[in-house]
Amino acid sequence: MKDLVSILDGNTFLVSDDRGDIEPSLDFPTGLFSFDTRHLSTWLLTLDGERLHPLSVDTAESFRTRFFLVPGEPTHYLDAKVSIIRSRAIGGSFEEELTLLNHSGKETEFVVHLDMAADFADLFEIKHARHKQGLTTATVGDGELRLGYRRERFHRETVISTSAPAHIEVSGMTYRVRVGPHGEWKTRLHVSTIVHGARGEDIRANLPQYMGSRNPDAIRAEQNEVLARAPKLGCDCQPLAGAYRQSLNDLAALRYESITLGVRLVAAGLPWFMTLFGRDSIITSLQVVPFLPELIPPTLMMLAGLQGHRIDDFRDEEPGKILHELRYGETAGFEEQPHSPYYGSADSTPLFVILLDEYERWTGDDKLIRGLEAQARAALAWIDTYGDLLGTGYLWYQTRNPDTGLANQCWKDSWDAISYRDGRFPGFPRATCELQGYAYDAKIRGARMARKFWGDPAYADRLEREAAELKIRFNRDFWIPDRGYYALALDSDGRQVDALTSNIGHLLWSGIVDESRAGRIAAHLMGPRLYSGWGVRTLATDEGRYNPVGYHVGTVWPFDNSIIAWGLWRYGFRREAGQICDAMLAASRFFDGRLPEAFAGYDRALTDYPVEYPTACSPQAWSAGTPLLLLRVILGLEPQGDHLIIDPAVPEGMGRVELLDIPGRWGHVDALGRSRTPRGR
Amino acid sequence: MTEATERFFESLPARAPEVLVSPVSGTLQIDLAQDDQTVHWLVHLRQGEIDVSRDRGPADAIWYTSADLFDRLVTGRAQAISSVFRNESSFSGDVVLFLLFHRFFPDPPGTRDPRTVAREQVGRLR
Repeated sequence: MKDLVSILDGNTFLVSDDRGDIEPSLDFPTGLFSFDTRHLSTWLLTLDGERLHPLSVDTAESFRTRFFLVPGEPTHYLDAKVSIIRSRAIGGSFEEELTLLNHSGKETEFVVHLDMAADFADLFEIKHARHKQGLTTATVGDGELRLGYRRERFHRETVISTSAPAHIEVSGMTYRVRVGPHGEWKTRLHVSTIVHGARGEDIRANLPQYMGSRNPDAIRAEQNEVLARAPKLGCDCQPLAGAYRQSLNDLAALRYESITLGVRLVAAGLPWFMTLFGRDSIITSLQVVPFLPELIPPTLMMLAGLQGHRIDDFRDEEPGKILHELRYGETAGFEEQPHSPYYGSADSTPLFVILLDEYERWTGDDKLIRGLEAQARAALAWIDTYGDLLGTGYLWYQTRNPDTGLANQCWKDSWDAISYRDGRFPGFPRATCELQGYAYDAKIRGARMARKFWGDPAYADRLEREAAELKIRFNRDFWIPDRGYYALALDSDGRQVDALTSNIGHLLWSGIVDESRAGRIAAHLMGPRLYSGWGVRTLATDEGRYNPVGYHVGTVWPFDNSIIAWGLWRYGFRREAGQICDAMLAASRFFDGRLPEAFAGYDRALTDYPVEYPTACSPQAWSAGTPLLLLRVILGLEPQGDHLIIDPAVPEGMGRVELLDIPGRWGHVDALGRSRTPRGR
Repeated sequence: MTEATERFFESLPARAPEVLVSPVSGTLQIDLAQDDQTVHWLVHLRQGEIDVSRDRGPADAIWYTSADLFDRLVTGRAQAISSVFRNESSFSGDVVLFLLFHRFFPDPPGTRDPRTVAREQVGRLR
């Protein structure tokens, strides 16, 4: 794969090759996308019939790129008589400025041509190649080319206009220009993406807070505003400073306008996951609470507004359940995919309750807890009713949509993620261990909210009693005595699925682990089977299905490690938590501060650098959230009543770490930590 | 307008306490198009209660749909949000009201409790 260059503004994004061209691709989402539809699938520049080559690409900003291009092969670089600067930005619409520079001493004629086409593929059609059901059209207008797609009343358009006069055909635009000695010529191309509503207007125009086509300056201003509100980090450790800055930038860039609710949400990851996921958005929110709490209420409101209300087998929906994934494209609309929304996750519902409580503990914003009381109670009720599929006191999952639903409805949702040590797969339903931890934590936190805000102490007592019983039951049924860790899952017969996995780290975070067993869990997490040197692997190296480049069966996920570090801290393993923080930040240096979705599980001694997982999403929200949560772990930040406890344990050699203006119910406070040994490296 | 639609609107006040659990209120106008005619319904939603009338506005939101689609929605044979994504229906105004109102729509016909199905399958149901 050639190097790809991406720019994005929320869920409108563009992925091209390193000269700025887009060529039709069936396997990877290159093109201009908006609301899950590809609005440009071909965008190819030639000069006098020749393709161009990049001298350099400027990717400093998330929504703007510049390509410096010359014609011919690399050996011709030195005597190029002409070059083109291709400058593009995205902000609701897509704009590209072409500047041609004539480096010769005489007037010259040039033919500049752009091939243009739109296949209007739904993102899912790229993942699972399908034929379009509707009709695509191309019409030449006055100074513009209109590309359209219709299927029944589903109607999308791409309108491309040019500032300089062009010869416009249905397949592109051609400019014949004469440029004087050492002169330049420019044109500006504007590409708008239109989502037609039932009465012909753009659906997005009806959204109360929709900004329309925000220009790049407005995007920059908004991103700067997000960054200005975040606490300021001062530290000796460059990787930490770099990762922190990059994370804030990426989180700001991933914010998008929801077409259904008219609020700003954070998309999960470029390019496959530029949409709302229950699990991803909640975990990201948990990571960023101390830093960007204002991102959280819209997410909670949206998830509550779309909470399941009926039994719908196609969507794996049940009353009280929090959604898994929401998509806006053609396949969701025509019910070829279930994402309108899809509810196939067993963890988003308890995580919703956990986030609601965590948000109030930091911000003191009790209005949200009171306003969402009914939804939080419905979520808690789901855990004990529809969530407990087999009536055994655990959270189970099994899809009722075998064609397009998800088999595994936990964060490790690929088909082969859940197995016994010998590699066999358990039957369905399955109850993975971390789900039980989340359910436990949700009950504890639900009890706090019931007592403090909902005026229902009897309900609080009941939730606490149920949590205590769950903890006893779990420690009896999931613990594998001769191996000294918790089973990955129970199978449909209630037998232990005995693989050693990173899931046990999530159990520490939830607090469901018996104190007497925490030491053994920490030892497994930091032992050579799970710990690669760059982080904790998803699956231990001696398991039947271990594969260092298997999506959920051996790779290292930054977000997973941030939760594990949080869990280690919770049980007092500060040194071990610090070791994970240190390794993650060291890894981030190899990605310019931007942690990818996952990297390979190879031993650090073997590769010396973290190998990126082949099709990893980047930026990805919960990877961007990782350095923030690690910073919280390093500084030991924990709200207690109206105060923030600061109990730093800075890893050896990291030097000084100071975080200024941490927002919360206390106003703003500063936290300062220092390692016992100064920064050496 | 179909009989199913008539019965659906009649049933709403009795179901409101169980369905409208949020402290949110507002007025939604529903425009049902059939042939050349449009039938209007106006619902005022608030916590635990709903008023239903055949008036037009003023409303905080308007939802446009065909009488046929609405009949499928009130009998559980169609789902509201996907109908908006495929542009078979559309709305303007406060989307929260649309999301609140769509909670009145029933399960698809023939739906069974997933717990019963799962327990039968693993042989746990006596």
